[in-house]
Formats: sequence, structure tokens, C-alpha cells
Amino acid sequence: MAPSPCFHCQTNRAVIIRPKNREKLCRTCFINVFETEVHETITSTSLFYPGERVAIGASGGKDSTVLASVLKTLNERYNYGLDLCLLSIDEGIKGYRDDSLETVKRNAEQYEMPLEIVGYDELYGWTMDQVVAQVGKKGNCTYCGVFRRQALDRGAARLGIKHVVTGHNADDVAETVMMNLLRGDLPRLSRGTSIVTDSAASDIKRSKPLKYAYEKEIVLYAHHKQLDYFSTECIYSPEAFRGSARTLIKDLEKIRPSSILDIVKSGEDMAELVPAEIKGKACARAADDESTGGCGSQNGRTRGGEMAEMEKKLADDEAAESREVEIKLPAQSVPLPRKKQNKGIKGSTQKTIKTQTMGTCERCGYISSQKICKACTLLEGLNKNRPKTAIEVGVGLEDEESSSTLMRQMERVQLGG
Amino acid sequence: MPGKELSDPCVDCRDAEAILTLRRRRLCKDCYIKFVSYKVFKRMENYRLNRGFAKDKPCKLLFPLSYGLSSSVLLHMLHDQLEVQRSKVHGSPGFDLHVLIIEPSTISPSNPAHDEGFELAQKCFPLCSFTKVPFHSIFALVPDIKETMSQFAGKGFEDDPSLSDAERLNAFRSCIATSTSKADVDHILMNRLIVAFAKQMDCQAIIWGDSDSRLAAKTLANVAKGRGSSVIWQVSDGMSPFGLEFNFPLRDLFTAELRDYASFFPELTKLIVPDEPLPANTLTKNLSIDELMMRYVLTQGEKYPGVMLNVTRTANKLDVSQMPANLSHCTFCAAPLMNEVGGGHTQFCYACARSRPSTSS
Repeated sequence: MAPSPCFHCQTNRAVIIRPKNREKLCRTCFINVFETEVHETITSTSLFYPGERVAIGASGGKDSTVLASVLKTLNERYNYGLDLCLLSIDEGIKGYRDDSLETVKRNAEQYEMPLEIVGYDELYGWTMDQVVAQVGKKGNCTYCGVFRRQALDRGAARLGIKHVVTGHNADDVAETVMMNLLRGDLPRLSRGTSIVTDSAASDIKRSKPLKYAYEKEIVLYAHHKQLDYFSTECIYSPEAFRGSARTLIKDLEKIRPSSILDIVKSGEDMAELVPAEIKGKACARAADDESTGGCGSQNGRTRGGEMAEMEKKLADDEAAESREVEIKLPAQSVPLPRKKQNKGIKGSTQKTIKTQTMGTCERCGYISSQKICKACTLLEGLNKNRPKTAIEVGVGLEDEESSSTLMRQMERVQLGG
Repeated sequence: MPGKELSDPCVDCRDAEAILTLRRRRLCKDCYIKFVSYKVFKRMENYRLNRGFAKDKPCKLLFPLSYGLSSSVLLHMLHDQLEVQRSKVHGSPGFDLHVLIIEPSTISPSNPAHDEGFELAQKCFPLCSFTKVPFHSIFALVPDIKETMSQFAGKGFEDDPSLSDAERLNAFRSCIATSTSKADVDHILMNRLIVAFAKQMDCQAIIWGDSDSRLAAKTLANVAKGRGSSVIWQVSDGMSPFGLEFNFPLRDLFTAELRDYASFFPELTKLIVPDEPLPANTLTKNLSIDELMMRYVLTQGEKYPGVMLNVTRTANKLDVSQMPANLSHCTFCAAPLMNEVGGGHTQFCYACARSRPSTSS
């Protein structure tokens, strides 16, 4: 078969079929198109202002590496006038983060950007490995998510920077839309698709310039630009709803490649239709964002715990409701106006949401709607049991693995008994 | 008199042997039917009591019947309600039900005509009136659809007025490229046909027989096809953009419960044309998005039926009044044009544009 020419320049040989729309492109045109699309996203949303200092949340993975590379290129090409730097979080996961941080350090040299690393151990006194040894693998993503949110903010604050960009791509955003539908989480549905998530709660703005970029194209871009990135996934377990949504999106992409963008579009439209009361709540709660969302680096491995839990809760609610209906049955002849009133009350109780006033955490001073912020609450729980695991500090990964296995076995014994 | 000796008494009436478990409760056949029917009974309250409608005459409802499990079961339940309503001397006028059937063989040649089903339905549900129309009657019911179709199909399609309506519709449908777009376009056309017929009959609302799993699959599929802004009226009770109310009374029931209900009535078993099972070995990429979502909801629904039901409930919480005012509507599917690229200059919405022959992928 004769090689097809590039769809754009018609001269070079096409070597890439674009995952987004199956256009056949040459290497140069692909890189150009990819960068131009990110540029359009940035300009159409007026994401930056000249002279702005921006921290790139860098994990060493493909998304943040591509983001750093593209932003550096565009900043020079279009004179954004940005002062860029890299900000990394060290969760303290041996065999994953220590290696990926090496990549970030190399990136910092390659892109000539300053690098700041903020560690969970220095901030909280706990590495994720220690947390997992303590709480087991179940639910550890909650700790990691809550800790990361604060860590990024604190890292940015340390650098005196008010804008952090992250490598979330279109697949991540689509996944979040689907996940929030499955979880029935309207507040997150209302904010998950917006490119900028800033709020009254924090003076540090978050944004995702790769919101419309396909994961597959990010990989292609990294490959063809020969970027230096780290491709191991986090070794700890993912969240079931995200896993289920991820599998679904991969299947949809096979059927109709535009699906990912279509879901993002649906998500944006639905966000506008979220009732105003809930939207308000979403804004106030932005500080707790990602508190249960995990880090998005999961691989579609599903454990099912969260879905089973929610299923059980829904079934219990249902059972309670059906008991309620039984009691109400004889009262059917209640005059009409009262029933109407009842209905009104029922409807409004669902919708009244306590407005939250943002304050600061009494312990750490981080912005929180509660007296004590989520991270401090989690830490309190961890620290209570500290003596139990104190001896484990410094043990190798294998030992910890087996100790958490042991813990799980113990749990099973307890449940069985 | 000593009570009956029951090994497994029904937890509701305590007077009969339980035969089925319904939401963790053991029930006898009668109580099972009562529970399941009550869910639909509640949903029909506004029409039964003529709330928000004229009080002096019955409110006219259109009921599209596909001979599938859920619409057949729903019709059976609604007919029971009609019987009770007609037996009351001083009751409110309640509702009248007109059943519309789009002749299945005109939708796909592989569907059986099911003429005996039409006769059986009329015999079983004498309190309803019935109409059967072919799919291509859309040309008569929606006069401007021919023009819309031509614009929608673009250059790749030449409408030939010398052909019969059936042939013209088939020619249009065959120019749609992928299975996802075909299913999408067919759904829109059928929807428009049913709405136009309901208006012609002066109906105030359309009662849809979508099951819980279909509603969940529809929600997810619409989101995946970029129809996020129209999900709300595709799966929620209330006013549609067509100026008619849409109502989905089966939303609180699981498909398994409908299957149990149907098994109690031999006439239903005869009427229902079972859904063709989704081919298990079809490659994912050859499915339509609607089929993929149905498969997802059914497989996940085995383990997590409540989570799937909750998807629809979440969509129901969206609030149409948040929609910006004065939006123009898509000429094909009637969805409001929300956040469209190119401002208000487009005729077709984002999602319809995806299904058009020139752009469908």
C-alpha cells in the first residue's frame, strides 16, 4: 500500500493517525496541531496574564511532562510572558515516587525551570507507605487526595505563586463526569468540567490547560518529542467508581473517538443545569476538592468496594422508604391541600443545604469550612495509633506489603468471628 | 379458629405462602403485584386526579407500545387503573389512554409484524384506544421533516420524490454511517413521530414505558453522545421542549420485578416480544453507544442495581430552569442549542452534528 500523505501539509508522509478524529498526519504537523489546540484552549479561556508566575504540578508522568514541555514551547512562541516553575509532591511511596522524582529533576534541567519538592513526611509526619501500613490499602487514596490538595497549595504558597496548572487531560475530565454521574455527586458534576477551579476557599487557582487533549495524543506527543517521562502507575489501589468509569470511556473511544470530547461537552452543559443551591455548595467546598477523588493515575483496576458500599446504602434507604410507604397507606384519604404541602416540604428539605462559611483550621491554619480541616482530622486518626506502627518506620517495601496483608487477614478473621 | 400453618408466610398479608423475595422481603403473589403496581399508581397521581389539568373531562394520554417487556407490563398496570377509575361513579374524570404502535416490521425488516399482538392488545385492554402506524408515516405527521432530513444528510443524500415514503425513509436512514449514529437518528425520528401523533390526538402527555435499566442506559448514552443538555427531558418527568409532558412511571422498578410481574399473567407472556439478547461476542467497537451502555448497565446492574438506578435519579435532579432563556432549538432533535461553537448560527445541535453523514465517525 502506498504511504498516504499528511492530511495537513500534503507533502510529508503521514505517520500518525490522530486518535481524536483519525486524521492522518506527519510528525511535524501532529506536534504543531497538538500545540495549537492547547494554545487555543489557553487563549479562548484567557487562562494566564502576562508576567504571571505559574507552578506546574509535576509528577514525572506523561501528562505533566507534556504539559511542562508544551507550556515552555508556547510561552516562548507566543510570548505569554509566563514565569514557569515545577512543583512536585513527594507522597513517600517507595518504588514509585522516588523514581518519578528523579525524572522531574531531569525535566527541571531540560526545561531550565526551578523545581520545588514538598514531602508528605515534612508536612504531615507521615509518608504514604506509612499510612498504608497503618490503614491498609483500602481507602488510602482518600488520605493521599486530601494530603495532596493541601500540599500543592502549601508548595505554591512557599513559592509565592497563585496559579498551579495540572496535567489533567480530556480522558480524566470525561472520566470524572461519568464517575460523578455513577456516584450521584452533583456538586462535583457542577465543577469537574471547568478549566479553572478557583474559589473563595483558597487564593490559589487551579487549572487544567490539557482539558481537551486526549490521553492517547499526549502519549504520542511525548513519544514524538522524545520526552523523558516516567510511566509506572501508582502501586496502591484505585477507586472503584473511577475504575468503572475509565473502562467505560475506553470502550466508548473505540466506538466513537469523539466520545471523550462529547462527554466533556455534556459535562459542561450539565454543570450549568445543576440547581443553584448545589452549585453554591460546590463553590464553598472547592477546598475539599479531590478529597475522595484520588489522584486519577489509576489504571482501571476495579476493586468494587466503594460501589458495593453505595449499593448497600441505596438498598437500605429503599428498604426504609418502603416501610414508610406502608405506614402511610391508610392515610391516603388525607385532604389534597395538606398532601401538596407535604410534597412541598419534602422537595425543599432535599434542596436546603447548609451554607458553609470558610474559616481556617484551628490546628494548621489551612482554609477549611470546619473547625479542624480534613487533613488534620485524618492525621488525628493516624497519630492516635502511631505507637503501633512506629517500629515499622524505615522497613523495606516488602515487609510493609506483608504487614498490610497480615492486617487484612486479621480483618477477615475478625469479620469471620 | 387457628391460623393457617404457613412455613414461609408473606410479610405483608401474613395470610399466604410467600413465593418471591422483593427487595429483601418475602411476599406472596398478590402482595407482590400490589407493591409493584403501587409504585406506578403513585407516579400516575397527577393524571388520575386531574391535577393541573381540566377537572371536567379526562386527561388524554398517549402511550407508545413497543411490545417489549416494560411497555407491555406498564400498559397492563395502567389498564388496571383504568378499570378502577371507570368503576367509580363519583370519582374524578381521571385519564384516557390512547396506545400508539409503530409497526415493528417497518422499523427493521428483521422484526416480526406481530399482528396477533395488535389484536391481543386490543382484546386485553378494551378500555384503551389503539392506533398502528408505519415508521414512514413520519412524513405525513411531521410535514417539514423531509426538508430537515435533506439538510441533515447533506451532499451524500439525494431525496427522490418519485419513491414511496417507505423507500425514501430507508434511503435516508441508510446514508447514516455508523451504528451509533443510526441508533441515534432512528431514536430521534421515532420520538418526533410519537410527539406529532400525540399532538394530533390532542394528548396532554406521553407516558413512556422505559424500564429503570433503559433509563440509566439512556442517561449514560446521551451524555456519551454529547446530549448532556437534553438528558433531563429524555429521562425525567415534566415538560418536554415539544410542549407536551413526558412521564416515565416505571422509574422506581427494577427490570427483574417487571419480569416477575409479567410471569403472573399469561396474556402478557403472549403479547411480549422478548428483547433480542445483546450478542455477547460482538466486538466492542461494532456496538452502538446505546448498546454499549445497555450492556454496561445490565452487567453492572447485576451487582449494583441501586447504583444504576441512581444514575437516572442524579440526572433528574438537574434543573431546566437554569437553562439560559431564548435559546434556539435544533431543527432535528429539538434540543436547546446550549454553548454551541459558532454561536447561534447552527441549525443542528452539537450532538446531532456528530451523527450527520459528513461528520460521523
